[in-house]
Amino acid sequence: MRGLVKRYEAGGETIVAVDGVTLTIGPGELVALYGPSGSGKTTLLLMAAGLLAPDEGDVLFDGVSISRHSARESVLYRRREVGFVFQAFHLTPGASALDNAALKLLADGHSLRDAHRAAEPWLRRVGLGHRLQHTPEQLSMGERQRVAIARALVNEPKLLLADEPTGSLDSVRSKETLKLLRELCHERGMPGLLVTHDPQASELSDRVFTLRDGHLSEGLDVQLAAAFAS
Amino acid sequence: MSGHDVRRLDPSLFGMRLSGVLRIYRVRLRHHAIQELLAALGIAIGVALVFGVLVANTSIVGSARQLIDGVTGSARLQLAARSPEGFAESIANQAGRLRGVAKAVPLLRQDATIEGKDGSESIQLVGVTPSLLSLHSVATRSFSSGIRLISGGVGLPESVASAVGAKVGKDVTVKIDGRASRVAVNTELGSATIGPVAESPVAVQLLSYAQKLSGKRGRITQVLIEPRPGKDALVSSELRKLAKGRIDVLPAKQELAVLAQAAQPLDQSTTLFVAISAMVGFLLALNAMLITLPERRRNIAEMVMQGFDRRQILLVLGSQAVVLGTIASAVGIGFGYLLATTIYFQPPVYLATAFPVYFHRSVHVGTVLIALSGGVLAALICAVLPMYPLRTSARPSADAVLRDSGESGQRVSVAASKGLAATGVALVLGATLLAELLPSLTVLAGVMLALAVPCLMPGLFLVALAALAKASRRMPGSMLAVATIELRATATRSVALIGVTALAVYGSVAIEATRHDLTTGLDAAVTEYLDTAQVWVSQNDNFLTVDGFPAEPARRQISRLADVSSVRVYQGALLDVGDRRLWVRARPPGDATIVQGSQLISGSLSTASAEIRSGGWAAVSNVFANEQGLTVGSSFTLPTPSGSRRVRVAAITTNVGWTPGAITINTSDYERWWQTSAASALEVNLKPGVSPAAGSREIRRALGSAGGLTVETVGQREHSFEATAREGLRSLGNISALLLVTASLAVASALGAAIWQRRDRLAAMKTQGFESIQLLRSLLMESLLAVIIGCFGGACVGIYGHALANRWLTLSTGFPAPFALGEVQLLLAFAVIVAITMAMVALPGWSAAKVPPSMGLQE
Repeated sequence: MRGLVKRYEAGGETIVAVDGVTLTIGPGELVALYGPSGSGKTTLLLMAAGLLAPDEGDVLFDGVSISRHSARESVLYRRREVGFVFQAFHLTPGASALDNAALKLLADGHSLRDAHRAAEPWLRRVGLGHRLQHTPEQLSMGERQRVAIARALVNEPKLLLADEPTGSLDSVRSKETLKLLRELCHERGMPGLLVTHDPQASELSDRVFTLRDGHLSEGLDVQLAAAFAS
Repeated sequence: MSGHDVRRLDPSLFGMRLSGVLRIYRVRLRHHAIQELLAALGIAIGVALVFGVLVANTSIVGSARQLIDGVTGSARLQLAARSPEGFAESIANQAGRLRGVAKAVPLLRQDATIEGKDGSESIQLVGVTPSLLSLHSVATRSFSSGIRLISGGVGLPESVASAVGAKVGKDVTVKIDGRASRVAVNTELGSATIGPVAESPVAVQLLSYAQKLSGKRGRITQVLIEPRPGKDALVSSELRKLAKGRIDVLPAKQELAVLAQAAQPLDQSTTLFVAISAMVGFLLALNAMLITLPERRRNIAEMVMQGFDRRQILLVLGSQAVVLGTIASAVGIGFGYLLATTIYFQPPVYLATAFPVYFHRSVHVGTVLIALSGGVLAALICAVLPMYPLRTSARPSADAVLRDSGESGQRVSVAASKGLAATGVALVLGATLLAELLPSLTVLAGVMLALAVPCLMPGLFLVALAALAKASRRMPGSMLAVATIELRATATRSVALIGVTALAVYGSVAIEATRHDLTTGLDAAVTEYLDTAQVWVSQNDNFLTVDGFPAEPARRQISRLADVSSVRVYQGALLDVGDRRLWVRARPPGDATIVQGSQLISGSLSTASAEIRSGGWAAVSNVFANEQGLTVGSSFTLPTPSGSRRVRVAAITTNVGWTPGAITINTSDYERWWQTSAASALEVNLKPGVSPAAGSREIRRALGSAGGLTVETVGQREHSFEATAREGLRSLGNISALLLVTASLAVASALGAAIWQRRDRLAAMKTQGFESIQLLRSLLMESLLAVIIGCFGGACVGIYGHALANRWLTLSTGFPAPFALGEVQLLLAFAVIVAITMAMVALPGWSAAKVPPSMGLQE
């Protein structure tokens, strides 16, 4: 992400959500991004996912600018290159873990049979090999998030984006999830951007950044550090 | 106001104040208005459908009850003539002198037509004497001045006066028995004077004037008898001696029993409509609850977290349900009343030809309470169900429920669907047995089939899903696979919607296809009945053709016409035998058709026709034959105006379109037994080359308008009769169409709401690479599959229900109804539901598919 600027109009005022952010995430590197609500974290995430075009600057993935993608190229980028993990999981309730993990591949023209074949190893990788037919209601919160992680990885992405992935989990499960995300990024040599409020992420990520009022700084800022310490 | 007074106005229960309970609901409404509206909509629809049918049906029978109650007053017995010719007025005086008789009130009732400047109305002319006031009936309590007012003229109820444009002081034309007379309207009789009779098709005159007008001087048709207390049996016996087997001795309100018998098919089909409508409404309300189940569970979890105990939670939920149920039911009752007076309302023409019925909007308190309590009960069940997990101590952590995501996924367990399927099959088998062993209870079998429909849907749903899943597994990029996953994921909700669709299709297919059978059968019956002549001359287009007029003057005039080859006298009457008002049809021996071949059930057509022509034989309807235990060749006693007659059965037929049944004899027998040569119609055949239109014009010119006779070609008469038959059946068609449309709109709303509720997840799918068009395809496919599964299930049971209903029509009610599969009705039902549902789902579907991906993120 190079010199990214994004402005919004709200109530007659211009709000600069992201102001000149430059950030490079290398292969296999998991970066945690902190910041208070409204600091622009989600905006940054959306731009990294190709869902929002910056007003200035560029997002480059493997040297290719995704900010200039057409709508179709943007869709293909997300389908094939990006794995997304959500705080609310967004699993299909009542559908099996296997169906949930496989669903994403249907968008890219795979048959369900092939999608199941692709999803099963990932579910085993995240430790849910014995829960393939369980529905989200039959899984714990931590297990649900692991299904969501498997879903994010089923398309063998080259970039992992996570939006508060531990927001719905207790501290034990949060730690497990963060460790898993780091392992996966390292294993696959995949850059990962983790938007979070979880203090544990600062220890389990490779690098930490803080976004405040649209400005990016490396490490935790003073206020956050104090909050975590307390 | 003291604090004590304030507390009394704000009572508390289980430690909670009423104001607090209501405030909780106000907050809920502010944040979940749409969900509450959806639940209310489901309840309101069910209540509207049920209430509308109940009011429309009770209004018809209720009107006659009001009229008969209104006139008979304290009378408990009656002498009733067996024909419109009546009996001597002196019988009333003799009856009044019998031991045990307190009062004997003579009446003359004649069917007539009133014509005013704005139109004409068929009415019943009632000739009364001041002695009627002694019965203190509702209609006469305030009528003492009215008696003077009608002297020398006629008193018209407000409804009739307004319909024909009659004004007090002006004349109207009264046509009776082929005679047309100008009569002054002396007064309009409102409800203040004659109570509920003010809305009835009845005109009142002094007896002497009515006798003069109808040419029946010294004759009456009815004597209302009030026995002294405890003397009913004695008086009844004395009256029988007086009647000498030529006049009927009956309870004063006997006509109600006869009407109830004639209206039985209507009552039975009402039961079916009510059952289907109630189930549709309940399933819709249940579906609305299912959509909001996670939110309701969180609501309960929040209350648990805040320290509410179980009783308090029940109080909060229960009070919300009572408020919602009451308001929704009230709205439903309003719409139901509208339905009853518009779409459901059809003037009961076929009953009105033989009974003094009219549409009187009678809404009984009981009906309102049934509708209201049904709606509140549905709301209570739907509100309390989410509490089910709290029934034991093994309840999920409230905290976990609060953290749960927005949607509910409820799979239908295989065990549950097997159990329901078994129940459904048992209901189908039970319905089959019931219809086979007790055909008269086939409508109850129809209700059982309606109950079977939602029981069978879960199993059908799972089978269909398995097939779809298998089919879609290998399809690349298939949104069918996505749709199948979503359907399975929300199985309970999908099954509820499929159940609604299936019920609506079942009801529509069974009712519409049966109606089509009936229409086809009645058309054939009418055509064959009328095809004996090219031109028909009668008093009016009453399809029973029972109103008499002097035959000879008209017959002679018509015979003299050059274009006419023959004129035959046709006679007909209504005759009460037990609780049946039988249609007596007397055919002249010269008619080509005596017994209608298309209506023959047993007997030989040629033999039966020859026997009836010879005299002493009759063709009888199967419903009458079954009741009397008759077979071809056996004999029975016919109570005629000239006394009881032994008649032999030449053939057994359908009811030829008249529910209580018909008897066909020849005119010679009729003239002797009814002691009249009056015609009910003249059948005219024309010379070769003369068209019916030309012939009827000639006849009309010859007769002029003085006689008040109607001249119709056979085509015109057929058209008019068929229209009458269809008129009587139109409410069936309206109800089935309404069921389809209502179910479609409600299902579409529920689907749309479910789609809308899923936007967060759709946004997440877009983030992961789904395009809007893919999401739209999967959403539409999901809706279409649900509707098609429901249609298919409903159609299968509907076809079977149609077969049972057809069997009931032919065996139990005796209607002519040749069975036809009803492919057109089937396809139409499918098309209506699919078109409406998909058209309505397309908009929220498209809107939801366009959801911005950012909606799936937290900030």
